[in-house]
Amino acid sequence: MKITKTIALSYKILTAHKLRTALCISSMTIGVAAVVVMVSMGRGAQKRVLDMIHDMGTNLIVVNAGHVTLVGGRERQSAIVTSLRPEDADAILDHCTSVIEVAPETSRKMNVEWESENLMTEIVGISPAAFRIRNIEIKTGSNFDSIENDTGKRVAIVGSVIVEKLFNGENPVGYRIRIGNAPFDVVGVMKAKGVDANGVDRDDRVLIPIKTAMLRLVRTTFIQKIHIQVADSEQLERAETEIRDLLRERHRLRDKPDDFTIQNQATLVQTERESARILTLLIGSVAAISLIVGGIGILAVMLTASRERRREIGLRRAIGARRRDIRTQFLLESLIIACLGGFSGTVLGILSNFLASKLGGWTALQSWDVTGAGLALSAIIGLIFGIYPASKASKLEPIEALRTE
Amino acid sequence: MIKIKNIEKTYIKASVLTPVLCGITLSIQRGEYVAIMGTSGTGKSTLMNIIGCLDKPTSGQLELDGIDVYKLDDDTPSSLRNNKIGFVFQQFFLLERTTALDNVLLPFIYADKYPADAIQRAKKTLANVGLEDRTEYLANELSGGQQQRVAIARALINDPDVILADEPTGNLDSTSTAEILEIFNRLNKEGRTIVVVTHDRAVAEHAQRILELKDGLITENGTNPNTENSDIH
Ligand SMILES: Nc1ncnc2c1ncn2[C@@H]1O[C@H](COP(=O)(O)OP(=O)(O)O)[C@@H](O)[C@H]1O
Ligand SMILES: [Mg+2]
Repeated sequence: MKITKTIALSYKILTAHKLRTALCISSMTIGVAAVVVMVSMGRGAQKRVLDMIHDMGTNLIVVNAGHVTLVGGRERQSAIVTSLRPEDADAILDHCTSVIEVAPETSRKMNVEWESENLMTEIVGISPAAFRIRNIEIKTGSNFDSIENDTGKRVAIVGSVIVEKLFNGENPVGYRIRIGNAPFDVVGVMKAKGVDANGVDRDDRVLIPIKTAMLRLVRTTFIQKIHIQVADSEQLERAETEIRDLLRERHRLRDKPDDFTIQNQATLVQTERESARILTLLIGSVAAISLIVGGIGILAVMLTASRERRREIGLRRAIGARRRDIRTQFLLESLIIACLGGFSGTVLGILSNFLASKLGGWTALQSWDVTGAGLALSAIIGLIFGIYPASKASKLEPIEALRTE
Repeated sequence: MIKIKNIEKTYIKASVLTPVLCGITLSIQRGEYVAIMGTSGTGKSTLMNIIGCLDKPTSGQLELDGIDVYKLDDDTPSSLRNNKIGFVFQQFFLLERTTALDNVLLPFIYADKYPADAIQRAKKTLANVGLEDRTEYLANELSGGQQQRVAIARALINDPDVILADEPTGNLDSTSTAEILEIFNRLNKEGRTIVVVTHDRAVAEHAQRILELKDGLITENGTNPNTENSDIH
């Protein structure tokens, strides 16, 4: 049998049954579009986790004062705890061999004023090491150094939300603001980081040297957090144990429970990673189901067709078609439907991804391997679900087929 | 050309045996125009399908053009049907929503080689049955007589050794019947072998030789005295 002639013939038959073909192609289209969209979304979610890890800094351990509990998936620190001190941070750096850098942190919501504008925001006291450990980047101006920290200089780095709200979008570097009642000079603007896993807007804050914060603003001797960088990810566990032992000893806890909470990055991103994984899995199965639905559409249509077309099959056999010619033809029809569906589904999927990320703000990571896989998959579906009707059609005895009323 | 020997056919349906053909032996020469007659249900279609390799006999031999059909593999009947036999059925069996031309081209798809001049040949064959101005009509846009002529053109396209027609005029009015029979006469004069199965004596009268099928056996009525072209063989 001449393959090109058969394709032309199948095409003619498909166009002759427009409604049937259209229905079949659209079920396939939706299946493939679902695959393209969902896989892209899954990839988007995974990328978000990776971005989060990057934003956080790598090989990180966070020690929080008191107990940190998860409320609705978000961290809540219980009350005010006075157990953690800057000296703890120094001790960790000195005694824990796997630790390469530490950054203590204290923060408080305070009023910030500039000219006639004022707002409440998070004032975060950090040490210069935090810029490195936590990947805090400066967009304009500069960060502060350890000399400025040690001398308790009143300098501030503001987030982009502050630039918008307090300075009406102007570049604030060089401006003098008041935090509480103390004057501070703005020396830099942070690069935007967005909202973190706990729903905190990391751009709605002002960073100042921790020494300055403790001496001149909050006037306390305790801190809330220590960010700790470990040499490599293999040492996270060991570092955690070392830090716990050291802090328990320093806080003289003996048989009392921890008055601090240690989280390492693995546990911090674990929930996110897990949800991304589940999302991908879920997405994968939904996509697979939609593809199978598309395939069943083809199966149903081709089975109906082989019943409706018994006389055609009989005639073809009468004029010389062999069983395998009938099989090839039916298979080709399924394949054409599946591929057309696959193609339009891919286009629809790419379009949806585009719209979703433009309008819905979703992260859909469109990639060409997914698109290619979608196309290949639809061809495979066409083959798998086309084989049964095709072989059924080919098994029909010619006279029986012709006798069909 | 066609030789059948001791052909028997028994249908088995729900463990009921229906013997239809009970040992038929007959031969048809090249260029003959033969009618197989019989009342409805005597097994004429069954016999014709067996001659045309569409159906297998329960026992017996079929020889087409010197080829023992059932000695060979499963593809042989298909290829014989494609290039040695042209079928014409009572119900026409055209592909609907497909042009007359495409219907006529259909057998080429299953031929060993798709001819380069396929379309010209199909058009010429359609002209041969008087349908040169209907080539682009869809099958369902044609009258019954025209559809049957498309079917004849389709049967002729691969230049077969024999045309097998099963009640070719069964669904047609008298005018169309006359047209079809006229075409068969002409084709036979051009040397084509034709076997027509019919229950209608008026149709059978056009053949040179009339065979009567009754109770599973053939009775030879000899040469039809009414035909003037009985001198062909
Ligand atoms: N597939 C079948 N199964 C059982 N009986 C059949 C089958 N096909 C035909 N018959 C029976 O065989 C007989 C001959 O049928 P057929 O060859 O169509 O007769 P004709 O063409 O002379 O009218 C009929 O009695 C019919 O009922
Ligand atoms: Mg019959």
